[in-house]
Amino acid sequence: MTKPHDDNEQSHVDRREFMAAAAGMAAAVLAAHETNAAGHASTPANFAPEDRVARPVSAGSRILITGANRGLGFEFARQYAELDTRIIATCRTPDKATALQELAADNPGIVIEKLDVTDLENIDELATKYAGEPIDVLLNNAGIGGGAENQIFGKLNYPVFFEVMSVNVVGPIKMCEAFRKNVEASNLKKMITVSSSQGSIAEVMMPMLYWYRSSKAAVNMQMVNLALQMRRRKVIVGLVTPGATATDFIPEPFRSRIPSIRQPEVAAADMMRNIDRFTLENSGSYFNYDDTVLPW
Amino acid sequence: MISKLPRKGIDRIRWLLVVSVSGLLLAMLLPAVAQEASEDLPYIPTVLITGANRGLGLEFTRQYVDRGWRVIATARRPDAADDLNALAEKHPGLVIIEQLDVQDFDVIDALSEKYADTPIDILLNNAGINGGARNQMFRKLQYEAFDEVLLTNTIAPLKMSEAFYENVLASQQKKIVTVSSSEGSIGGATQPRLYFYRSSKAAVNMLMVNLALQLKRKGISVGMVNPGPTDTDFMAGLPKSMLRSPTDAVADMIRNIDGLNLETSGTFWQYDGTIIPW
Repeated sequence: MTKPHDDNEQSHVDRREFMAAAAGMAAAVLAAHETNAAGHASTPANFAPEDRVARPVSAGSRILITGANRGLGFEFARQYAELDTRIIATCRTPDKATALQELAADNPGIVIEKLDVTDLENIDELATKYAGEPIDVLLNNAGIGGGAENQIFGKLNYPVFFEVMSVNVVGPIKMCEAFRKNVEASNLKKMITVSSSQGSIAEVMMPMLYWYRSSKAAVNMQMVNLALQMRRRKVIVGLVTPGATATDFIPEPFRSRIPSIRQPEVAAADMMRNIDRFTLENSGSYFNYDDTVLPW
Repeated sequence: MISKLPRKGIDRIRWLLVVSVSGLLLAMLLPAVAQEASEDLPYIPTVLITGANRGLGLEFTRQYVDRGWRVIATARRPDAADDLNALAEKHPGLVIIEQLDVQDFDVIDALSEKYADTPIDILLNNAGINGGARNQMFRKLQYEAFDEVLLTNTIAPLKMSEAFYENVLASQQKKIVTVSSSEGSIGGATQPRLYFYRSSKAAVNMLMVNLALQLKRKGISVGMVNPGPTDTDFMAGLPKSMLRSPTDAVADMIRNIDGLNLETSGTFWQYDGTIIPW
């Protein structure tokens, strides 16, 4: 884990550019300080009545799902297909995704696309292919856990950190960048990322999964920024969590040690209900599977 | 490796025997040794500060050495660190400059080997980069910049903690502190900006909260401090009226570090002593 020494590291930082951001940063810090002292939150944004109305996915909605070959992604595809939606189901190796292929054979609304979310060029290519086509819900589902054994203090495996970040953080934000116009052109205008309650810093009770947890805190931060960014364009950004689910994501022997483990069909249904709840007003929220809002 | 405890039965028993016997001997000898030492030399606490060549790191060095602490001050290029070198000349033996680029984990390991038997009271992860605002604008995100920001701001502090864990454990104060930023507060975000910098700080906060829980049993406390907008190169170009002086920013952070203990471990402190929400 060695990077070449870069003597010019600071020189590429354009100070004038940074100035604008830093000015906002300083102002925000000072403003936050003042509002805290005054005991009230910052001024809420103004929303039109329609911005407060939750519009659910319905027949004809178009949904792009990453990592749709198995686990929660497959469940999303299966259950959304039952609603007569049109689905772009992506996975790294469609040839091996037999369950997804069978599902697509029974549902003409499903199109399978090859996509590795860590391959940014691959994302751009897919976006080019779908240019001009509205996508109602961009569903960033693909994610990795990184392996618990790589995330133990004292023997941390640092290269794995970057793998986890690449799939769980860079993948989702890059997808949002690439498919921004498709979502903007749609009816529902939602960019949803499957996060995890493990990403809640406030809820950490035991030390574990350093990489996975920090990737989810990081993606939460990016999506909150994106929610603020896209508000003017009426694009809704949301975070949902599945809860501990019995998929390949939680391998044995861990899976059978979690008494509260949930079935993927239940977890996906819970997230779909929460995806429907998102409006422009609550954009940027972190909805747990039980409909509560998780603390950051 | 944290635990060198042998796992196999016989080995383990033998090892425990050796440890308990030598522990007993040590316990008998130690009071005499400690007493003797305390008569001659008072305990001088040590702080290791990364990125000590300028800005907040330099000011941390100045203020800790003014308190009579010993500072292991690291910088990427010590030869170019004029202010730090001047400080070291003024305080021979108390300011020790070491070459360290926190992005280079081999160098971190080499430095921790060099200091293998030195207690470090406070490991102060100060080095940080902002990644350049123009690399972090949605629709034009430059992902290579993200890797670099994550490396310096997020995992280098954890790697430092891993590498210097034994040193902190062997010290009196036993503290690991990371300079975070209120920009890392997810709940505090009200304007979209600095996607990478912000998420690197949210991510490091998460790592440090885990570390706080991990090391509590060992008596090590872990904290995060926030300088507020400060007049350093990091914020170059801003009107001075918006910025706090590095002297004040560091004095405030040191006060919060002083207040860090096992009970408050895992806290993210604003410079004024309030708690920043995640």
